[in-house]
Amino acid sequence: MINIPKTMSKSTAPTFVSPRRILIIAQSTVTQLVRMKVFYFLAPIALLFVGLQFFDGLWYALPDTLLVEQELRMHKNICLGTMMLFGCLFAVVSTALLIPGDIEDRILYTILCKPVPRMDYLLGKLFGVIFVILIAMGVMDFLMVATLEYRMQGMMTDITATLRERGLSDTEIGAVEAEVRAHGSTVNLQFGVLAHFLKAAVIAAVALLVSTFSTSTLFTIAVSVMVWIIGEFQWIVRDGLFNDAEFGELPSTVDQIVATTISVIFPDFRLYGAIAEGAARAETIVPNDVWQLGGLAGLSLGIYVVLSWFVFRDKEF
Amino acid sequence: MGAFKTVRNLTVITGVLAGTGYLRMPAEQEFAENLQERKIMPPPIETEAWSEMGQTSLAGALGGLRSLMATMISLGAHSHFEENEWYDLKRDYEVITALEPYNEFYWTHGGWHLGYNAASWARHYTEYSPARRRLLEMEYLEMGDAFFKNGLKYLPDSEKLWFEIGAMWSHELKRPDYERAAEAFEKVRDSPNPIYRRRYLMTIARLPGREVEAYQEAVRLLREDGRKHIIAPTFRCLLVVLASNPDLPADSLRPSLDDLFSSRERAYQDLFNYRLRCQREGFYRGKVDEILKELIEELKVPDELDPFVTPRKKPIYRSDWREALDEGKARRGLEGLPDWMRKRN
Repeated sequence: MINIPKTMSKSTAPTFVSPRRILIIAQSTVTQLVRMKVFYFLAPIALLFVGLQFFDGLWYALPDTLLVEQELRMHKNICLGTMMLFGCLFAVVSTALLIPGDIEDRILYTILCKPVPRMDYLLGKLFGVIFVILIAMGVMDFLMVATLEYRMQGMMTDITATLRERGLSDTEIGAVEAEVRAHGSTVNLQFGVLAHFLKAAVIAAVALLVSTFSTSTLFTIAVSVMVWIIGEFQWIVRDGLFNDAEFGELPSTVDQIVATTISVIFPDFRLYGAIAEGAARAETIVPNDVWQLGGLAGLSLGIYVVLSWFVFRDKEF
Repeated sequence: MGAFKTVRNLTVITGVLAGTGYLRMPAEQEFAENLQERKIMPPPIETEAWSEMGQTSLAGALGGLRSLMATMISLGAHSHFEENEWYDLKRDYEVITALEPYNEFYWTHGGWHLGYNAASWARHYTEYSPARRRLLEMEYLEMGDAFFKNGLKYLPDSEKLWFEIGAMWSHELKRPDYERAAEAFEKVRDSPNPIYRRRYLMTIARLPGREVEAYQEAVRLLREDGRKHIIAPTFRCLLVVLASNPDLPADSLRPSLDDLFSSRERAYQDLFNYRLRCQREGFYRGKVDEILKELIEELKVPDELDPFVTPRKKPIYRSDWREALDEGKARRGLEGLPDWMRKRN
């Protein structure tokens, strides 16, 4: 019989959460995803964003600031919409592929036979995915800002020249320029990008939770996308719960139970979209909005990670 | 054992999500209401708009891409405009504005398509009888008006939308209804935009019986920020002509031509053009003829540019002076023309 000193057993027992271990797993996840050539999707996106420069959606190029703003808004809507779509799809698909991929490649057994708590493994995987989303979003954001700024500068030159021809004073021209500039690359716009990033992170956490108990990648993707869609339109059921009844008819008890269940179980993804769309319209987004949104996203991430751990902790492979 | 674990896991997941969701939901709802109040979050899509939406826009709206879908549909709506498919265009703009109700551009644009493009098409659609054309034109004008007013439900502070309503009803090539136009322009008479502020005056100056009110409005604008308005030729002329109204009290402010115009020649040119607008658009005439006659006498205006000798339908500009000069030279030499007409721009 081997006598293990008490002190030694204590020192070798793995701590529940180790940032170093999480970082190593996250790094390997990033490598794993990069090897899957996930960044290749940025090439068509870059082409789309650059191509927008040559797309004159409004055929009447009048020096009306409302038209100029609309052109810039269209540019931002297309860029932000693309970022959201790719960010969320990437979050679902990559997270859904990770655990089954690790099982298939036998990596999971190698990791879990070592003193690595399953929570560390899950957190490492999630942070790896989130980091890749962050890089992808960063690249798309850079492309959006660069193309938007280029487009705005071109328009600004035209407008200034037209207004000067019309004999407007420098103060008046300055006011118009400020209006147009508010639709360019501003901090507000970055809040919109951040909102989409947070949404993608929450969706990745949802996919992680589903993948801990699902038996197939397809099931994980399908369920995660369903959660995403339900989260987007759950305002319909919330509307019935919080607002006055339509046509004077109150929802039935069954409707109320269903509506409450959907409302409490699924996150409200409309909030993320609203911040991003408000940013595209150059509405004032205050830092408090971002903190609130970040808080809600953090809460959702925390809940999904804990639940993922709960399912994964005694899962047998 | 496996089944037990699955049931246990699902029960725990549902329980935890419901429990935390119960705490989370009020915070989300409060945040959503705050965003809605500040018009950052659009209101829920109305029932009628749901039924009008195609599969793609519905999927887009549900997928959190309301703005993007609105952009895409607005680009598609352009083809309905090109093909004169006005009802399809109207339906498209109803969906667009349901998706993005806080975008002023879509409201002004949709209203413009209906009130201007569709109405013009109806007016010139020769396959219909004149009566039917007229009815259809009025229908589209009313549709445009209603569309702008719908926008005002979401954007009650939008000066642009009130201005567009007024502009549509005061357009001389359409079916002007100056009473309705004045109602709309009255809402923007205190706007920071001087063009918007002047339009109420310009409209009531065309309404018989409201000349005194128009005079008071012109004086108000002059006293508020005269420099911004006096650059507009019609405003200068209105001040002169409205002040010539004999119904005004004797002590009323009556600016002289020299106070308002850079030169007598410029005064003649502007008043000549104003007189044309009186004929065409029904502006208040006042004593414009008398003032013009005095100027003709004083400036020795040639017959070609004298409306009482040579009726003319076009306004006159500096270039016309040159033409008159050249014609005069050919016909009777330079001596027939006054010195100021020989000046180039």
